[in-house]
Amino acid sequence: MKLSKRTSMLIATGLTGAMALSACGGGSEDGDGGEASGGSGRVVFGESTDFPENLYPNIAAGNATSVANVLIKVLPSAYQVQPDFTVEFNSDLFTGEPALEEVDGQQVNTYEINPDAVWSDGTPITVEDFEFTWRANRSGDPADGGCPAVLSTTGYELIASVEPGEDEKTVVVTYETPFADWQGSFENLLPAHLMDADDPAAVCETITEGWPIAEGLPEGISGGPWQVSNIDAGAQVIVLEPNPEWWGDGPELEQLIIQNIGNDPTTAVQGLQSGELDVIYPQPQLDLVEQIQALEPNVESEINFGLTFEHLDLNTQDPHLADPLVRQALAYALDRQEIVDQTVGQFSSDAQVLNNRIWLNTQPEYEDTAPEQVKSQNVEEARALLEQAGYTAGPDGLYTHPERGPLDIQIDTTENNPLRQTTIEVMIPQLAEAGINASFNANPDIFAGAEAPTSLEGGGFQAALFAWVGNPFITSSQSIYQTPQGDNIQQNYSRIGNPEIDALFAELATEPDRERQAELGNQIDGLLWEQMATIPLYQKPTFIAHQANVEGVQDNPTEAGPLWNSETWTIE
Amino acid sequence: MFFFTIRRLLASVLVLLVSSFLVFALCAASFDPLERYYTQNPRPPESFFNNLRETLGLNDNFFVRYWRWLSGVLTGDFGETINGTPVVDQLFPRMLVTGRMIIGAIVIAVLLAIIVGVIGAVRQYKASDYTFTFIAYILIALPTFWFAALLKEYVAGGVNDLFGQQVLYTLGEETPGLSLYASGWELWSDRLGHLVLPTISLAALSFAAWSRFQRAAMLDVLGSDYIRLARAKGLTYRRTVVKHGLRNALIPLTTVVALGIGTLFGGAVITETVFVWHGMGEYLISNGIRQEDINVVLGWLLVSAVFIVVFNLVADLLYAVLDPRIRLS
Repeated sequence: MKLSKRTSMLIATGLTGAMALSACGGGSEDGDGGEASGGSGRVVFGESTDFPENLYPNIAAGNATSVANVLIKVLPSAYQVQPDFTVEFNSDLFTGEPALEEVDGQQVNTYEINPDAVWSDGTPITVEDFEFTWRANRSGDPADGGCPAVLSTTGYELIASVEPGEDEKTVVVTYETPFADWQGSFENLLPAHLMDADDPAAVCETITEGWPIAEGLPEGISGGPWQVSNIDAGAQVIVLEPNPEWWGDGPELEQLIIQNIGNDPTTAVQGLQSGELDVIYPQPQLDLVEQIQALEPNVESEINFGLTFEHLDLNTQDPHLADPLVRQALAYALDRQEIVDQTVGQFSSDAQVLNNRIWLNTQPEYEDTAPEQVKSQNVEEARALLEQAGYTAGPDGLYTHPERGPLDIQIDTTENNPLRQTTIEVMIPQLAEAGINASFNANPDIFAGAEAPTSLEGGGFQAALFAWVGNPFITSSQSIYQTPQGDNIQQNYSRIGNPEIDALFAELATEPDRERQAELGNQIDGLLWEQMATIPLYQKPTFIAHQANVEGVQDNPTEAGPLWNSETWTIE
Repeated sequence: MFFFTIRRLLASVLVLLVSSFLVFALCAASFDPLERYYTQNPRPPESFFNNLRETLGLNDNFFVRYWRWLSGVLTGDFGETINGTPVVDQLFPRMLVTGRMIIGAIVIAVLLAIIVGVIGAVRQYKASDYTFTFIAYILIALPTFWFAALLKEYVAGGVNDLFGQQVLYTLGEETPGLSLYASGWELWSDRLGHLVLPTISLAALSFAAWSRFQRAAMLDVLGSDYIRLARAKGLTYRRTVVKHGLRNALIPLTTVVALGIGTLFGGAVITETVFVWHGMGEYLISNGIRQEDINVVLGWLLVSAVFIVVFNLVADLLYAVLDPRIRLS
């Protein structure tokens, strides 16, 4: 017993020692007022997506949510997506709403830059920055003066010229063909004076290298309220401080610290609980939401429905699903309200069934375009359709076709995604009622390239459940529903289309007027319901939680993200 | 002993070579770093895909790619990640992060394991033995992530409430950004506050299993003839146990601990994730496997394999030190 007593004393001493040591540390730190929640104006945001390796947003390496969050208030954008999904011009950067005109059949946009607008090194923001931003994103073809590292040329490829107006502060953008999503252009304005060169190859080299995380932004440049002041790639911390040259309001805080915390939800909750984090924006999970709500009133939280929506894609090259009657029967057999209730409905009573693929429930342009039969479960009609298609029911009630064989539908989805798994598990008995034998398959290759036969690209699947990330802009849907041209399916994984839809998309892509866009979008969606190759299910929730003493935090469930208004945040 | 060491090292080089080739083959067959861009909307232009394939060398023959990697490694170049950061830039700082996290834990765990194991053996079937056995089995049975969550919730919460301020931290190595405006004692005490919980978590879980090994080895030794002889010669009980018993009973534990250290350097994956330490394990999981990045996985493999080989060697050498009858030749 002698020994054990001594041992336990040893352990006790060691532990108390360590705690006492760190206790002193904590004391001195608070004495300096260094603690984030201590009211000194320092807010820590827990970033749950991967830490970036490159901060240049237009190449693969910088194409990350974490980069978008850092840059949203560092590089100015022409327009910003608001939490209600509307798009507003940047009233700090411009003196008034940019003009949209038609001149000689060409779309012309005129932007009046604020005379006070300068980069953080004092260089004025002028038409040159717009012109360079266009040139840096215009083309992926080196022969054409472009750069193959560029991730997206959408919109910029349609611009004919970017020229000064009366002076350097007026930007006149002329499009070769009208472009519906012109408001999405000039997102993340690039500093021409730090990146431009006469030789396109030199520019391409600059773009390809990007802004490696170890070096940060060139000269720490900023044209917004925040400036990246420090990056610790080892600890995965990025520190934003007010841009001294910022000409607008804010920021109210001394520092905004972005700390990468990984995607473990428990970590995020306990970090918030212990006061080490001030704002978190994790992927919502049911137990996580409940744990956070238990922390009220010290913590406030908000659930919204964002731009990501889940849907079921039916492969029209499958012998069964090639038959429109079978696709219809499948859609009629689903009770989508129950699917919503069992999945996203658990998070919030605001969850709704999505009845449109072009506009989402929470967008002002949304219209319910769904046919009556898919609004509730219609087993009888589904069975009738299958019998009409030549299927006969066996003794177990499941259908078989004389040539196509038993009606077995395998629904593929991503691995390790509980929400999607639940969705399919709710679908299976619903489909069984209508005599369709559905099964669940977690397919690790689902997003792989065409060389993986069971991938979406490869086409070796029957039905697939996955998400599209929508945006308030409209042309991005075109590649999903356009009729495939031979092997070039773009992103039309159900591999079906019709000339009417193609024509409407062509019109939509060149329609700069928002009201007309809404109309065309809804018209297209009506036709997509007739085709019944994709069945929309629901919008995915977003979840923001923050310490109650951080004021001004508001979720922006669009791609603008949680830091969209961070320059207005204050700490009590 | 010298030739033994050399021979072992040469053999391990061969092991490393074969394992890196196997892992390279597996990764090359299953990874598709372009995957996340196919469903990107709007979809990147074809020129983008071609360019990426070219820069990542995906168009080349498998053996060419392996040779390129291997010849790079021989010159100290571990290649770049798919996002263009040199792997070495991350690998070595992360090794230090993991090292910082596990060193204290290992020392504590080994000391505790020896003490508890010896007490358990010497006082076999007494109340203390039953208590420690019970605790050890509970700790062995506890999943790491759950134990860590309990520590955060109750230990961190309780201690912080007790002192009325933040003493123990649950996230990261230091308060983010603290090194920008603090230094000296303030910074180090903050780091200590961040280190306590991961250390307790790792130490408690490793010590539990190790103490069982130590107890079993000690029981074995205590029952042997030379211990009885030592007692018969008139040595005190304590001297017999410590000098004659413990020294011999340390050999099995040496093997287990050496292997354990090697593995832990490869990453205490769960502990790192739960406490947000950006160490080796996290590098493998989130940067390597999740991003489908072959150079990261291989870089990780090489470093952690080297650690396992080295610590195995250390274990072999320690046998000779502990037991002079063992000759390494």
